[in-house]
Amino acid sequence: MKTFAVLQLAGCAGCEVSLLNADEWISEYRLAYMPLVISAHDIPEVDLLLVSGGIRNEEDLYNLQRAVPRARKVVAIGTCAISGGVASLGDRDDVREVFLIDRRHDVPQLLPKCHPIDTVVPVDCYLPGCPPTPELFMALLTEPPGFKMSAIVCVECGRKKLRDMRPARFSGFQRGDVEPGVCLINQGFLCIGSSTRGGCRAPCPQAGHPCVGCRGPSDSLIEKEASVWLSSISRVISGLTDIPPAEIDRELRSPHLSLFLFQFSDYSGPGRTPRPKEKVM
Amino acid sequence: MPTLTFPLSRIEGHARVVIDVEGGEVKSASFQATEFRGFKRLVRGVPAEQMTVIVPRICGVCSTAHHIAAVKALEDAFGVKPPPLARTLRELLLLGQLIQSQATSLFIFTMPDRLSVSSILEPDLDKGAGEYSQIAKHALAVRRAGTRLITAAGGQFIHPVKAVVGGMTGGIDGGTARMLKDELAAQLPLACELIEVYARTSRELRERIGTWGDDAPAYYLTSVSDSLPNYDGDMLRLLAPDSSVSAFPARSHHEHLTYEQPDYSYSGRTSCRGEALRANSLARINMAESMGTPLADGYLKRFRDNFGRPAHAILLFDLARGIELVYAIERAMQILAAPLNEEDTDVPYTPKDGEGYGLVEAPRGPLIHHYVIENGLIADAEFVIPTVHNIKSIERALMVAARRYITGKRIDMELEQAVGRVVRAFDPCIACATH
Repeated sequence: MKTFAVLQLAGCAGCEVSLLNADEWISEYRLAYMPLVISAHDIPEVDLLLVSGGIRNEEDLYNLQRAVPRARKVVAIGTCAISGGVASLGDRDDVREVFLIDRRHDVPQLLPKCHPIDTVVPVDCYLPGCPPTPELFMALLTEPPGFKMSAIVCVECGRKKLRDMRPARFSGFQRGDVEPGVCLINQGFLCIGSSTRGGCRAPCPQAGHPCVGCRGPSDSLIEKEASVWLSSISRVISGLTDIPPAEIDRELRSPHLSLFLFQFSDYSGPGRTPRPKEKVM
Repeated sequence: MPTLTFPLSRIEGHARVVIDVEGGEVKSASFQATEFRGFKRLVRGVPAEQMTVIVPRICGVCSTAHHIAAVKALEDAFGVKPPPLARTLRELLLLGQLIQSQATSLFIFTMPDRLSVSSILEPDLDKGAGEYSQIAKHALAVRRAGTRLITAAGGQFIHPVKAVVGGMTGGIDGGTARMLKDELAAQLPLACELIEVYARTSRELRERIGTWGDDAPAYYLTSVSDSLPNYDGDMLRLLAPDSSVSAFPARSHHEHLTYEQPDYSYSGRTSCRGEALRANSLARINMAESMGTPLADGYLKRFRDNFGRPAHAILLFDLARGIELVYAIERAMQILAAPLNEEDTDVPYTPKDGEGYGLVEAPRGPLIHHYVIENGLIADAEFVIPTVHNIKSIERALMVAARRYITGKRIDMELEQAVGRVVRAFDPCIACATH
């Protein structure tokens, strides 16, 4: 029987909770380490190591470096492990200053920034999502033969894009009054499902909430600079609305999107190697 | 003399217990939360309306509670009242979370302590793995029914999205409601069976160790109403050791509760008039007149016949979770029997600057989000976390356990198990507590 371990760094445990709903792995794997559900205080040699959360403090760094050599394959699961996720909102200069003066005794000291795990250890595979759905965890762990995912969230959403419903401005971040079956962009929402990688089955836009891009860029964009992704989204919104491009651009850089939009961008650009799309689920 | 450090597992997040012993005498027991992300600071400057997406990420276990608390804080600031159907749907969301959370705490976090195994998912093979794998299967199925409820009412079960300022983005169609109700009906007997196994093995544990744990009186805090439980409450209620009950709104919590920040932990610690305070299941069960659903009321009566009211021993937090699990399934089935998509789910609103408080009863106790909004942006935020209310009580109970097992020249090895049981009785959530 194959073995796997789950190492949780600085995160919210949402990835672990999602994994618990994907319990069909129980028959194929032995779970060797996952402090949330098992009393085991050390990681043994395992076939597969799933790492969630970013590196926020010195203990995260130590635990990660100690665990990785014991695993044959390392997977970064969730946005925090891939890019720092929500905690990287704390990397803004004005916020960081407050963090750095916070010193307490006996507890792991905070690092100056929150780091993605592949800045420190080699990663074999990325499973983006905030959190990845149970189905995606299943696909990762048991590789079911029938599993297929679409290139982008738009395809899985199923809302219809209309050519004749063109709002002149954004109608706010989100609201209760949502027209069923009609594309959220036509209704003036900043939905970025058109270039976000699929596989999640579009639960948010289907529920009437714009896609915030937690799965990151689709394969056609993932190895390119973040600006290419931004202009692709901008083009789609311009095609379906009469909202001025400057306004679209401004909204795209707002904090909740920055949690997710830039999760693969830190490696793109001149002189830096992007994460290859073959490694991203 | 030694400082004993106990790593913790089967709780949410990163924490440890440190017990200082001097000359055979226990000097102190501290609960140390060792992680920190700094939400209070990192949300500054964020557009207020985006909080409903950002703050669920405080915790993937409690994201539903944070999602609704954020929406309610914004509604308070904007002066918006959601329509009745939206409130019903939010109650359903919170019930789904209660099912998920209590099933997880009971069967995944604490059941292994009753069965003396390291986990129900990976039971030690020489200890009757067959019987336990059945427990695991049923426990995960009950838990999953809660997550399906959250998915239907909230869009997804971790970091839900459907609660928005002014209401909800939509209701639940008849077919989905029927399917959910059928699933809950199928899980209810499994939940009851698991609770019976849990109660029996808890009594056996009590026989073996000779105690239900720290049973001195304490203050209790909840926001469920005094008649029937409603987890979408608007007042906090405090039960004092002298049995008096006082009620106050979220905005005056600083007048009733005292917060301190120990320098050995990233979590704060609450007290009430200098004494330990308790939130979570036992607070609600001690303060509820009745549950209002037939099976849960039966369990409540049995609980009170055995342990009185108010009950104080800490392992009773666990048994109280069982009553709530049954209540949440029964109550959700009642709600799902009525149409949930025939009325408006939202009202229009205009964002404005100001200050707002959002209160919900999370599984771990009353959760308050407090935002100050300037120019549409968050100027200041305060997250009052239920686990923080319990830290002083956890440390008090750890002292009781430590003094029981550390005597003169000897440390009884049962102490390690006892530390785990004490902490898990309070089901602390460290991601929330430190945020």
